[in-house]
Amino acid sequence: MTKSFLMGNQAFAHAALEAGVRVCAGYPGTPSSEVIETVAALRENGSAHDVYVEWSTNEKAALEMLAGASLSGARTLFTAKQVGLNVASDALMSLNYIGVEGGTVLLVADDPGPISSQTEQDTRRFASFAKVPVFDPATPEQGCAMIAAAYDLSERYHTPVIFRPTTRICHASTFMDVADETHAREPEGFEKDPSRWVIFPGRSYRAHGQINERLPQIAADFSNSPFNPWEEVAGTDEGAKIGIIAGGISYAYAQEALRQIETKVSEAGALSPSYRLMQVGTPYPFPEAAVKEFVSDLDKVLVLEELDHVIEDEMLKLCGKLHASYEVFGKLTGTTLDRGENSVDVIQQQIEAFFGLNLPEEKPRVVEFNEPIPERPATLCAGCPHRGAFYAVKKALGRKQQAVMCGDIGCYTLGNAEPLNAVDTCLDMGAGITMAQGFNVIEPDKKAIAFVGDSTFFASGMTGVANAVYNRHDITIVVLDNATTAMTGSQPHPGTGATLMGGFTAPISIEAVLSSLGVKKITKANPLFADKAIEAAREAIEYDGPSAVIYESPCTKLTRPKPPVYFIANACAGCRKCVTTIGCPALGWSELSHHVTIDRDMCVGCGLCTDICEYGAISCPTRKRVRPVLPPRSTRLHSEDGSLSRFPTPQELAAQEGGNDD
Amino acid sequence: MINVSIAGIGGQGSVLAARILAQAAENKGWQVRSAETIGMAQRGGDVMSHVRMGNEGEAVFSPLPSKGSVDVLIALEPGEAARSLPYLKEKGLLVVASSGIAPVNASFKRRMYEPMVLIEDMKAAGVKMVVVDDTELVRRLGEPKALNVMMLAYAIIAVNKRPDCVDNALRGAISLEDIEQAIPACVKRKLVSTNEKAIKVVQQVARI
Repeated sequence: MTKSFLMGNQAFAHAALEAGVRVCAGYPGTPSSEVIETVAALRENGSAHDVYVEWSTNEKAALEMLAGASLSGARTLFTAKQVGLNVASDALMSLNYIGVEGGTVLLVADDPGPISSQTEQDTRRFASFAKVPVFDPATPEQGCAMIAAAYDLSERYHTPVIFRPTTRICHASTFMDVADETHAREPEGFEKDPSRWVIFPGRSYRAHGQINERLPQIAADFSNSPFNPWEEVAGTDEGAKIGIIAGGISYAYAQEALRQIETKVSEAGALSPSYRLMQVGTPYPFPEAAVKEFVSDLDKVLVLEELDHVIEDEMLKLCGKLHASYEVFGKLTGTTLDRGENSVDVIQQQIEAFFGLNLPEEKPRVVEFNEPIPERPATLCAGCPHRGAFYAVKKALGRKQQAVMCGDIGCYTLGNAEPLNAVDTCLDMGAGITMAQGFNVIEPDKKAIAFVGDSTFFASGMTGVANAVYNRHDITIVVLDNATTAMTGSQPHPGTGATLMGGFTAPISIEAVLSSLGVKKITKANPLFADKAIEAAREAIEYDGPSAVIYESPCTKLTRPKPPVYFIANACAGCRKCVTTIGCPALGWSELSHHVTIDRDMCVGCGLCTDICEYGAISCPTRKRVRPVLPPRSTRLHSEDGSLSRFPTPQELAAQEGGNDD
Repeated sequence: MINVSIAGIGGQGSVLAARILAQAAENKGWQVRSAETIGMAQRGGDVMSHVRMGNEGEAVFSPLPSKGSVDVLIALEPGEAARSLPYLKEKGLLVVASSGIAPVNASFKRRMYEPMVLIEDMKAAGVKMVVVDDTELVRRLGEPKALNVMMLAYAIIAVNKRPDCVDNALRGAISLEDIEQAIPACVKRKLVSTNEKAIKVVQQVARI
């Protein structure tokens, strides 16, 4: 055993390996991606023996692959973010009916906030919808214990089990003891049994009965599990009449808040009530027996949870069942937040109000800022090839041609920001290609453009392409091939050929896929070379019928930076075209000198800006030198005190020339 | 309980500085939890790392501190200091790098970013602070990437030496030697000497 500083997701990978997991698969998605990466790293460094790990094409492929492995008796681990489970849901619903052999745990990470997600959906709800048990940890350490318990549960009842951490647990770090070496449990192999493994209506009817039978048994087990603890804390009154029940990280926040309240109460010499505190670590099936004990003699219960009111609903249901008279406060009563993240602060306020405490308010520090705190929205990195792609497509369309530009999930969603403004829609993985077809049906005169990343293309873009060809939709698919899954931290995909088991398979060519699906017009270009990139876009957009442009240039995270561009100050006309068209973070603007500024530490020398500048004022060491066009010296403008002089902007120059004509 | 937060912009290395501090706390046998921003915000967005240490043997429940509970706030950029200020205790210490990084929209919105105004405003409001000439630190070391570790070292020196920090929870709890000892466990072997040199530079430059 070694004590290591581990992020929640790294710890969960260790826990699954220590449980003897044999096959791991998933699709990258924040906040879940580090689990598979950790398994792969431990396999590669030789400490995790006999484990198979892969990034699958998408979540559905991952879960179905794992279903096969599980039916062969192997312990398996599926990882995805919450919306990833939507993609794998078809497989999950049926898998629960036929059941599993080797323990099958689905690590599905929820994202309250949301911080990096499309929705704030609650996987605890998905669990009850799919009739699958779910664990909900309050800390990374508890999560590890839950993973071990989840594998045992899965095998005891032949059910898939969901383990649902949230972002703040996935990405929180602490020191933990982990095994130096792990060994996958060797499976027995698949045993044929058509009465079990083939999902016919008769089998489903029987299976549904088995599910309905096992869920109450699991609920009873959960009531005796260490994951649903409760305690009574004595206050000034005798016997607790109020209780707090919490799930996930809200339980840890509540513990922290209660400690702070205790300090405040003793400092103020105030009276604080006796109360009970319970964690629900297994929200489905609900550990009714344990909660029944917790709630006996209580008059009021405060429910603390993120995302949906899952525990709150169960508390209300239980109240009716028991003919009890306790009141339930939570999201439904407007007592707690109806969405977004909880925090220690928010929960502390809620508990103080619930306890009826009137403690002195801490006055927050007030600073009056005479300068706005800078907004820092996420932006495409300096040198990002997507910037060139968006610029080229917009340029090819021109000002007059109306178009709808459909984006998709990935770094390139950031193309919606100023000044690119190149993404009109974004829905879900792969939706850009198919949504463009709908726009084309309704408004055929507008060009329908669909941007799709290379990893997204393989994950869920290909069926959309087939649909466009089959139903003759006149769209242009713009594939942004940066040779990686960039947003989630550079994972490989089928188009790269790199696998987590080492070695390469032949990369799947996006061009060949498009062509074999029947796309007749396909152009290709490096998006960082504007002229050719624009030409490629123009040719594809003009084509009548489904067409594609493939922009190939690797993500800046994969390549060494090239020498930065340099700036030729006396050639800069101060026209600001470079800053206002491409929005590269390495390009700044000085109001003092009326010049562009270049952050040479940030610039990676992609050279796109040299194609934008009409005056040759930016030069790229790795490109052919462009001779700067200098306006005549006589046109220079001087500041009143003579300290600064600059060339006029094109507008000012035109005005000067116009003036001369008169 | 000691809470330290590090605020910066994605890519400035706040995560590593937090990691080193956590290791130093672990070496003392305290429970430590840390939290980081990962994901979309890393693309040039504002990020924060928090380190919470149970220095009196108490349990640490939440990885995130509450507002107004941070003993030392290290900001790698003035704008990020201003943004994260609500986390700092009334009597806590702010250690802030003086050079500003203009937001990307400043260039096309034609707005000059004036980070010194933010620093002056915080001073005027009575925030206990150390303004670090980060350009000088980086110039002396000749390595911009170690600014995170230099700022951490600066904060440790400041909180241990400044007379107005006697009641700061971090004072006397973690020394510069503790930080130096924690580094080898946190960085690749070839980077250890750079980081050790970075700390030496801070020791020479730091005027408290």
